[in-house]
Amino acid sequence: MTDDEQTHPASGPSTFERRTFLDALLAVGFVSTAAAVAYPVTQFLIPPPSGEPAVESASAGRASALKPNSGAIFKFGSKPGIVVRTADGEVRAFTAICTHLDCTVQFKADTSQIWCACHNGLYDLGGNVISGPPPRPLEKFVVNIRGEGDEAEIVVSRA
Amino acid sequence: MKVIDWLDERFDLSDVKHFIAEKGVPVHAQKVWYYLGGMTLFLFGVQVFTGILLLLYYRPSASEAYESVQFIVTQVKFGWLIRNVHSWSANLLVGLAFAHFFSVFFLKSYRKPRELTWVSGMLLLFLMLGFGFSGYLLPWNELAFFATKVGTGIAGAVPIIGPFTLQLLRGGEDVTGATLSRFYGLHVAILPAITTALVALHLLFVQRQGMSVPLAIERRLRPGERLPQMPFFPNYILRDVLAWYVVIAMLAALAAFYPWELGTKADAFAPVPAGIRPEWYFLAMFHTLKLLPAHILGIEGEHLGVVAFGLLAAFLVFVPFLDRRASRGERSPAFTIVAVLGLVYLVAFTIIGHYAE
Amino acid sequence: MLWKILCGACFFLLMPASAFAGQAAAEPNTCLTCHSTLPDQALAAPATLFRDTDVHRERGFACVDCHGGNPLTDDKARAHDTTGKEAAMAFRGKPSGQAVIATCARCHSDPELMRTFAPKQRVDQAAEYATSVHGKLLAVGDTKVATCASCHGAHGVRLVSDAKSPIFATNVANTCASCHADPKRMAGYTLPDGSPLQTTQLADFQASVHFEALTKNDDLSAPTCNDCHGNHGAVPPGVGSMANVCGTCHVVFQQKFEPSIHNQIFDKGCVECHGNHKVAKPTDEMLAAAAPGICTPCHTAGDKTDKGALAAETMRTGIEQLKTRIDRSRELIASVGNDGIEVSDQDLALREAASKLTLARTELHAFDPARVDAIIADGSKIVEDVDRAGQNGVAELRYRRRGLAVSLGAILFVVVAIALKVRQIDQRRGGH
Repeated sequence: MTDDEQTHPASGPSTFERRTFLDALLAVGFVSTAAAVAYPVTQFLIPPPSGEPAVESASAGRASALKPNSGAIFKFGSKPGIVVRTADGEVRAFTAICTHLDCTVQFKADTSQIWCACHNGLYDLGGNVISGPPPRPLEKFVVNIRGEGDEAEIVVSRA
Repeated sequence: MKVIDWLDERFDLSDVKHFIAEKGVPVHAQKVWYYLGGMTLFLFGVQVFTGILLLLYYRPSASEAYESVQFIVTQVKFGWLIRNVHSWSANLLVGLAFAHFFSVFFLKSYRKPRELTWVSGMLLLFLMLGFGFSGYLLPWNELAFFATKVGTGIAGAVPIIGPFTLQLLRGGEDVTGATLSRFYGLHVAILPAITTALVALHLLFVQRQGMSVPLAIERRLRPGERLPQMPFFPNYILRDVLAWYVVIAMLAALAAFYPWELGTKADAFAPVPAGIRPEWYFLAMFHTLKLLPAHILGIEGEHLGVVAFGLLAAFLVFVPFLDRRASRGERSPAFTIVAVLGLVYLVAFTIIGHYAE
Repeated sequence: MLWKILCGACFFLLMPASAFAGQAAAEPNTCLTCHSTLPDQALAAPATLFRDTDVHRERGFACVDCHGGNPLTDDKARAHDTTGKEAAMAFRGKPSGQAVIATCARCHSDPELMRTFAPKQRVDQAAEYATSVHGKLLAVGDTKVATCASCHGAHGVRLVSDAKSPIFATNVANTCASCHADPKRMAGYTLPDGSPLQTTQLADFQASVHFEALTKNDDLSAPTCNDCHGNHGAVPPGVGSMANVCGTCHVVFQQKFEPSIHNQIFDKGCVECHGNHKVAKPTDEMLAAAAPGICTPCHTAGDKTDKGALAAETMRTGIEQLKTRIDRSRELIASVGNDGIEVSDQDLALREAASKLTLARTELHAFDPARVDAIIADGSKIVEDVDRAGQNGVAELRYRRRGLAVSLGAILFVVVAIALKVRQIDQRRGGH
């Protein structure tokens, strides 16, 4: 940088101190604003735990946590789903919203059926209505297992 | 310093160093308008930066677009901040681009020898409006969906090429996921490519020719007299940075006090919500078209309106070649009046359009 | 002799090929060939109906299996021989009254015969019919009542599962109403207590939620006349059995209602509050001891000694309060979600809370406020948690705003610093 001292000579130590103080202030300012930008940006880049928006597919928990002849409710976006494992080990998933009046269904282990507590609607493990007020079967989802061993995850997708 | 020497050894930066050392900016009463171009450019940079960040998570399909924006805003760390900055910066960018345009228009900086700078600048302004229009649809919420429907409908009102343009824009007869795909392609690839080229040209012209001095001030100079110059580096550039920080401050304030909403997901079969209208920078044109009578001299009012706006755009692009007096260095009150009328019309109709329910 | 020629001529000229096809599969059937050409529709229609779609003909039965006579001759007298000389079964013409039942029951009450055609089909229809109001009246000579043919048709009989059958689920009400909605036909008939038989059932039913389910929502499991009154043993459900009838579908409500106090008091069970034919969609407004509530015939709101009125008020208040709280919560969550807070868990929870409302409305049929309160309390707890999350969301939004305000301060600080630096640099050189 060309230092044009001829036009405005430096007027002594106090001006110099002021200059350096201002430079320091500026440096602090620039660095902190740069950090205030860099920090959110780097945080933004880190993939969030939920991975991706749960529109087309969602996780229904660990496969090892679902015992045969049992069911569990999981979250599909903002709606509940139910994942069941039949007695011979097959994993199936349906919407957990009863087609009658939108209550959340549950798995009944003693009869191996899906039951709605509100008005006693009963569905079989294919989602079809056995008895009670539900007018339509439960919407079926596609089930895949991702990964292996103990950490294998049940991934549910829209049909 | 050492880095510059290292590069200089290899690439001979003596022209560059000379250019930077000698480059000056004229000093006069109207020099405050010089900053607007740089601020606009800075905001464009902000848009590219935040836009790239957003497209790491955004999904351009009708079934996932809304949810992906929701995901960004609720799940991604600081996603709400990046999205808010991007949305507000877009509005500020268009606002500043218009301010820059008007300042150049009023000060007649478009006159010879800067005609091409003006033409490239006008095209850039239209491109910014295109960015705004295409980007607005991407969150795929109700307001955006219907605003796009209305906007592309107006494009379809252009005589002869209208229906074809409408189909080209919408990717079909109606606004659907196909429209979203197209707009996304426009917004992140096509428009940025063209803009980059035009910005490069625009900046090249400005660097080559230096800053224009307003006609009134130039005329008051005695022959041989030159205006005092401020060194570009560091004096002007520091002021530029100051202006950019002011812009950042405005962005932070807007994002803090008027956070951008998600809205409700677009539903093509839902009825049009009441009071649907486009973003503010299209409001004047939109409201004008609404006010036009259904038929004028036997031609459909909307067709006439759209053609009129097209002619207006063409007129604006060719202003440097039409304003003979300014090119000759003479006062050009006619064009000043046109500029005043244009500004008054835009401001008035934007306000009226906003309050008309 | 001449009419034989004429008959033959008509046969060749007017018979469409399809008749030949039908006859080729079955045995020759001069009943059809002759009757279908007759000008009198009353005689011709049965033949053409039987020839077109008829479940009996498709299984190899013919006119003579019900009417008797000789199907192989085109001599009218021989075809209609009533002495039994011409064919195994003598011609018996059009059956009427009890003869209709006997004609159908000849096969349909024969288990071994029916087993060869439809093993699952019941064979006790005639016996059931005898216990019905129609059957009892027919037995004392009233031929205006419905018989087998009135509902099933006689010729052109279709399976019950055939959508064009008069007794397909969506057609049953109209079939019953063809007599029961006709005031002239029903004049003179009375209920057991002597009051005249109404004719508004069809209109009432068409205004009901069951009819809507059947016709608009394609829910064929929804009840129509026969589901509550019986098919062949049709009788209006009697005193005491109403809850059982409704309870065949509405199981949970019957379970709650049966031990309750109202079951001991009400004659007509569910019908006292919900009506019989014009069953409307129940609303929370019904639960009140003042208009437009339906507890009013027996209870008086405001009467502190009226335990029922107090119970109704408690239950209704609980339900309304939970509804309001859920709505408010939903608004809060929607607003916070719109501004960028993750609320899918709260959406799920509010769905659970709404289920509690449904459960509460079921529970009130036990008419015990304590039980309803317990469910309302569950729902309220859920809403409380959601509200808390909502408030956290509001706090988070405020925190974001504050963070931005702080950074705004920092930015403005830098702006001032740059401005000072600009002034300093200008003083040093190039200052303007």
